[in-house]
Amino acid sequence: MHDVNPVEQHRRFLIRSLPGLARHTLATMPWVTVFAGCASGTVVLALMAHFAGHSPLNQDNVRVTFLPAVGALAFVPHVHFRPVVQTTPVPTWIATGGQILLALPVLALTCWVQLELMASTYPAQYAKHLPAVYPLIAQLTGWCLLTLSVAAGCERTRYAALSGAIAAPAVFVAIAATSFVSPLSQHLLNPPETAPAATVAWCTIAAAALVLAVLASRDQWHRYTRRLHL
Amino acid sequence: MTNVRARSVVSLARIEAVHLSRSVPVLSGLMVSGVAMWLITYRSQPLWWSNDWRIGYGQTVISLTVLVGAQLATARSRRDGLQELYESFPTSTGQRTLAHLIGVLGAAPAAVLLVGVAAGAFALQGALGTPDLTTLIGGILLVLAGGVIGVAIGSRFPHPLAGVLGAFVWLLPFSQSNRFNSAIPWLFPWVKPAQLSELPRRLAGYPPALAHALELAAIVVLAGVVALAITSAARRHRVGLLVAGAAGLAGLVVTCLVQLQPIPTRDIDRVVSEAANTGAAQHCTTSEANGHNVRYCLYPAFGSLLPTVQAPVNGVLSLTPVQLAHPLTISQTSGLDIEDSTLTHGHSSQQVTAWRARLQNAPANLPSSSAIYVNLGRWPSGGHQQSVARFDLALGAAEWAVGLPTNTGPPTGLLPTQCVPLNQAREAIAIWLAARATHLPTAQFQGRNGSYSVAAVDGTAVVVWTYPGEISGYFASPGPQTTADGYLLAQAMTKLPTARVLGLLTSNWDSWISPHATNAELASALGITLPAVRLVGPRGQVITPLAPPGSQPQCTT
Repeated sequence: MHDVNPVEQHRRFLIRSLPGLARHTLATMPWVTVFAGCASGTVVLALMAHFAGHSPLNQDNVRVTFLPAVGALAFVPHVHFRPVVQTTPVPTWIATGGQILLALPVLALTCWVQLELMASTYPAQYAKHLPAVYPLIAQLTGWCLLTLSVAAGCERTRYAALSGAIAAPAVFVAIAATSFVSPLSQHLLNPPETAPAATVAWCTIAAAALVLAVLASRDQWHRYTRRLHL
Repeated sequence: MTNVRARSVVSLARIEAVHLSRSVPVLSGLMVSGVAMWLITYRSQPLWWSNDWRIGYGQTVISLTVLVGAQLATARSRRDGLQELYESFPTSTGQRTLAHLIGVLGAAPAAVLLVGVAAGAFALQGALGTPDLTTLIGGILLVLAGGVIGVAIGSRFPHPLAGVLGAFVWLLPFSQSNRFNSAIPWLFPWVKPAQLSELPRRLAGYPPALAHALELAAIVVLAGVVALAITSAARRHRVGLLVAGAAGLAGLVVTCLVQLQPIPTRDIDRVVSEAANTGAAQHCTTSEANGHNVRYCLYPAFGSLLPTVQAPVNGVLSLTPVQLAHPLTISQTSGLDIEDSTLTHGHSSQQVTAWRARLQNAPANLPSSSAIYVNLGRWPSGGHQQSVARFDLALGAAEWAVGLPTNTGPPTGLLPTQCVPLNQAREAIAIWLAARATHLPTAQFQGRNGSYSVAAVDGTAVVVWTYPGEISGYFASPGPQTTADGYLLAQAMTKLPTARVLGLLTSNWDSWISPHATNAELASALGITLPAVRLVGPRGQVITPLAPPGSQPQCTT
């Protein structure tokens, strides 16, 4: 018998359990919800681009059509069979984090496709003179992480089963506030704020929301981390 | 047995209606709708032919939230995995769906409350005209249509996101109606036509309120039929559903076609005539104040505004020491945009060109030194905005009194056509007269937080005073471009006794209102130091303004 370091033993356990975790996460991931949210907004934008005629689409159109994707993201942190997951020797956040990691490429793809659709409505000679998209990307990232933090927060409450249904409208209200309440919109929208300043503001919000989401995704009870002597 | 079923459906519907009316989405939608209505109406003069349609526009929010709430309620059993338990109940899925459809009426009190509160508020504000019942009912139907669509979605898709996506699709036409250059926007659930507040009275068919209300009713029927068709298993119901669905579809098609019909030529012709030839279409009264005759011309529906318009003008006239030969006319005008295709769709381009030419030749589009044209759609109903507009009107009257232009006409190029009374004492006198008649708005041209604008006059950079409301469109076009020097001198004059300033002006009025009388001469005669504009940057450095490209003319005689 080799006397293995507990830390090393734990690491090996995690590596061995990864395939199982991946299978579980792939199976419990709300794919239909995510794809429905991302696809519906993109299809609507594609229709708008098709009928754009002489009035090309702008970043506001992308903001509107990205909202369903944000709404769908609110349902991603919810872990089905969470009490079962909590009894296994892996942290619960692994299931939540895995689902979020799987959703992120889909959202990134949606964002890219929608930006391409917007750009396609402009004549080729104007394509290089379009407004910078990095403030918009920062804003959409901020929306997504804000959604995750609210949904993860709801997951810790007695209303965990309704986390998505609560988080989605709550974030929509927050988004509306950042767009229409002038003290907020003055600092978060470009224009009136400059592109770098708006980007910094949204990145700050995104970072804060990420921290909150991470904190909210922790185990709800103190996990016994010492080596078990079975 | 049928009575038993009907009673059970009614009982269930009553419970669902109560649940829906107390649900968080509906209550939050009610609140947000109220705020939205206030935001889209508080700035402008309340006109019933515009505001009854805006009430419906404000109800779009509650329509969306009722959709979400109804979807959540309908999908409750399937979402919670209780479908089998519900199947054991004496009522069938179809009957429960019917109960949910009837239960949508639970959202009606909230919609009616919104209409009632908004109508009451407009009545208290003295809204002009009379409300159109069809339009108000259309707004309530919009809310009910959202609810019935929510039931249809919920009966097929139990996931909460389905309701959110349904609301998104229902919302989209509201936000994208401006992308269509035709009458298509009338077919959307609700739109906010820009020209409504520019009309001097209600124009039949703009918007097509009755056809639109019927379209929403047809949507209610169709969505209800879809919801029942999804959940009803009984074959005997299918024929009835098929008939109802066909009737709903036919109604939808017919109402859409009716809405796409152009507005009769004679109706638009009348509106254009009223907007262009303001003198013939308005009721004019001549009022005498301090020996001055002022002609007020208002559209018939706007007669109650006369005292509001008269007050600041009379305030200026009471301070004007001499009687002026040329009379002043205060007239209403309309900013009607004939390019709006929801107004002129279906008419030939020659006809539209003729209407455009008539509007371009309207008196309000010609320069004048004796007429002020008040935009009927922009005059504020009250509060701070109206006090700003009253100062602007007083300033216009004072500019007439000192011989400055009162209406410069629309800009012909990129540069403003306003002349600049550079170093002319009459500018400060005009501002002082307006300030004495109403109040002097605060302005800041210096200090760390100060902001300023610069105009070029004969190659010289002139710091200008953009007074509150100058670019708000209260008038067809503003008078001269006021300067910071004139404002500061007028501000200093307001600190002196009125009798002292009036005495000086009365003694030599003609000389003081001459373009050759300077600010320095006026300040010297009043015995005050001439204030100077000093621009200071954020680090305390003195800023020398640079002249922008182009040049504005100086005001002459």
